[in-house]
Amino acid sequence: MFDDPLLLARLQFALTAATHYVFVALTLGLAPYILVGQLVATVRGDRRRMASVRFWGGLYLVNYGMGVLSGLVMELQLAVNWTGLHAVFGYSFAAPLALETMTAFFVESTFLGLWIFGWDRMGRWAHLACFAVVTGTAYLSAWWVLVANGFLRHPVGFEIVDGVAHLTDPVALMANPAALMAFLHIITGALLLGALVVGATSAHHLIRGNDPDGMFGRGLVYATVMACVMPLPVAAFGGTQFALFGQDPPTSGLTYTAGEIEAIEAASGGPLLTAANTAGEVLMFTAWALMFLLGPAMLVVLLLRRPLGRLPRLRNLLLAPLLITPVLPYLASVAGWVFRETNRQPWAVVHHLTTADAVTPMAPGMAAASFSFFTGAFAVLAATTSWLLVRYARRGPGGGPLAERPADAEEPAAPVTSF
Amino acid sequence: MDVLSTVLLALFVVGYLVLAGADIGLGLLMPVVARTPEQRRRAVAAIAPYFLASEVWLVAAVGVLAGLFPALDHHVVAELWPVLVTLLGGWLVRDSGLWLRARVDAPSRRAVCDTAVVAGSWVVAASWGLVLAGLLTGGLTASVFTPLCAVAVLALFALRGASFGAERLVGALHDDSADVAARATRVVARVALAAALLATGAAPLPGGVATDRPVVAAASALVLLVLLAVTSGVRGPMLSRHTSALAMGAAGVLTALSAQLPTEPVPATTAVFVWAALAPAVPFMVLGQVWMYRLARRPAPAPTFFA
Repeated sequence: MFDDPLLLARLQFALTAATHYVFVALTLGLAPYILVGQLVATVRGDRRRMASVRFWGGLYLVNYGMGVLSGLVMELQLAVNWTGLHAVFGYSFAAPLALETMTAFFVESTFLGLWIFGWDRMGRWAHLACFAVVTGTAYLSAWWVLVANGFLRHPVGFEIVDGVAHLTDPVALMANPAALMAFLHIITGALLLGALVVGATSAHHLIRGNDPDGMFGRGLVYATVMACVMPLPVAAFGGTQFALFGQDPPTSGLTYTAGEIEAIEAASGGPLLTAANTAGEVLMFTAWALMFLLGPAMLVVLLLRRPLGRLPRLRNLLLAPLLITPVLPYLASVAGWVFRETNRQPWAVVHHLTTADAVTPMAPGMAAASFSFFTGAFAVLAATTSWLLVRYARRGPGGGPLAERPADAEEPAAPVTSF
Repeated sequence: MDVLSTVLLALFVVGYLVLAGADIGLGLLMPVVARTPEQRRRAVAAIAPYFLASEVWLVAAVGVLAGLFPALDHHVVAELWPVLVTLLGGWLVRDSGLWLRARVDAPSRRAVCDTAVVAGSWVVAASWGLVLAGLLTGGLTASVFTPLCAVAVLALFALRGASFGAERLVGALHDDSADVAARATRVVARVALAAALLATGAAPLPGGVATDRPVVAAASALVLLVLLAVTSGVRGPMLSRHTSALAMGAAGVLTALSAQLPTEPVPATTAVFVWAALAPAVPFMVLGQVWMYRLARRPAPAPTFFA
């Protein structure tokens, strides 16, 4: 296995992308919840409500760090390991990615830095505006990335000039159904994932009778509402994408003739790919079937929580299953990506470029070294970040990374000289 | 349109070198300027929210390279693949240290994070030296020029870091990090000047700089040398904030103007699409950068998320 640079490059990208998405999904899912929380706290000028923003914001940042680390590696890996893709589809596939880096990530990272640094250092409305920009650009980023990803699945809006794809219709590129449906599928799924993480954290503290200012009661209500509302749109936006499967993209035939395409597709495959594809499909559907049952079950728990106040053991028994519910959307997300991306094989760009032609020619030894380093580093980092997330979620609002430190513990401000 | 797009790419690369040069350079110098745990915390606090706004310049540069200059991307990657992967690895290690440092409590684990920041900064800066040398010589060559250029670029990063530290580590009166950094500017500038002089001398040798614009290359090298000479002279520490930025920028401009890189005209539809979608974001990009730069000039009195 270590002597095949193509396989290594593919596995490396798959692992990077999966790690990236696992953390990005929580970023997308938590951001709107934090934004609304901060808006309410700002409008009311309520310092105690802000404690809840600090708690969820702390989890958001720990998680964001891993999202950005894997995202940086993913972007550079795409540029460095897949030059064949850029050589042909740079002007069409990589253009939305270029816009993602400039209009979304550039702004998001800067304003997140301002938000982190700005606690108690800028006006509360300016601070809120920073997080509004962070939330907006996080979603903009997801949209640009899916425009690029949708292009691979369903290439539209270009012509081939001297073996290079030249964009002819940017509107078709942006309105690509493979991108639009995937975007709606991803954001509804991420909102559900974020809500279930909020729900699990809230249940953990409610079981221990820890509910400062009702923040975890509110978290449980939010999780229940989302669990009831969201599964249907997620499944609907996911299901409409099946209509594109097996459909030839409108640009089919520009690069290869129908006969050549058939020959390439017939020569590909293999037990490993088929197994990954089937496993992804089965896992995704099982997880979604269970999530459809989750909403009503959570509604019952929510309604019984107050009446059962005098029977804490029974109430805790009902709340306990919530602790493991985030496993379902995480499983569904990764399985869904495996299913979607393995389905495209042997193509990097359907009917235009095979994965084997897209990879950078590289020496097997160097490919193996790069694969081992990044896989090892991501295993350590993802494990550390997950452990930190669980630890801070269990600690509660008093011990978070953004928690307000008690005023008496602070040293008197030292005089600051500057020139 | 082509000129504009080329300027955009050069702006992102030079902007990255100038802005991120400061926080990467401070990472290089951490063993010298930050010797106690509290000094290390303050050094990381100077780097930490600031790096979020500086590394995005490189991300944007890579995006523009892939989207508007795929032929150039192909060329650079083919010539410099091992260096670019090393750069990426160093970047990952450095940023992991920065993100995780304040999340761990045990001194030994914190030492691991500090080591990651320092080692990652060295790998990133040294890789940039090799990248610039590789671009100037048209691929990595085993010549005298390559190591000299790499040392000069490393010293330029350290100079940016020293001047950044002299400005942003100013704190309580007993704290001498800022003084150490200020004194270091002169030493580092002399090292950079010596290395840059030797590299300029080695440039015409076989395997040296391959350029069809020798006059432009010589002129920008002269600007770089004069700036370094000013910084290493009497007025060094006071002016280093500006001269180090200009010197780093001169190194970037020198590479952009003299390297022989394959360019193809950007197809009109792609160029119009990218520029039209970019335009509305520009005010946000500028506002965020300026705001961050100004906000981070006042060091945070209490520990924040990063340190």
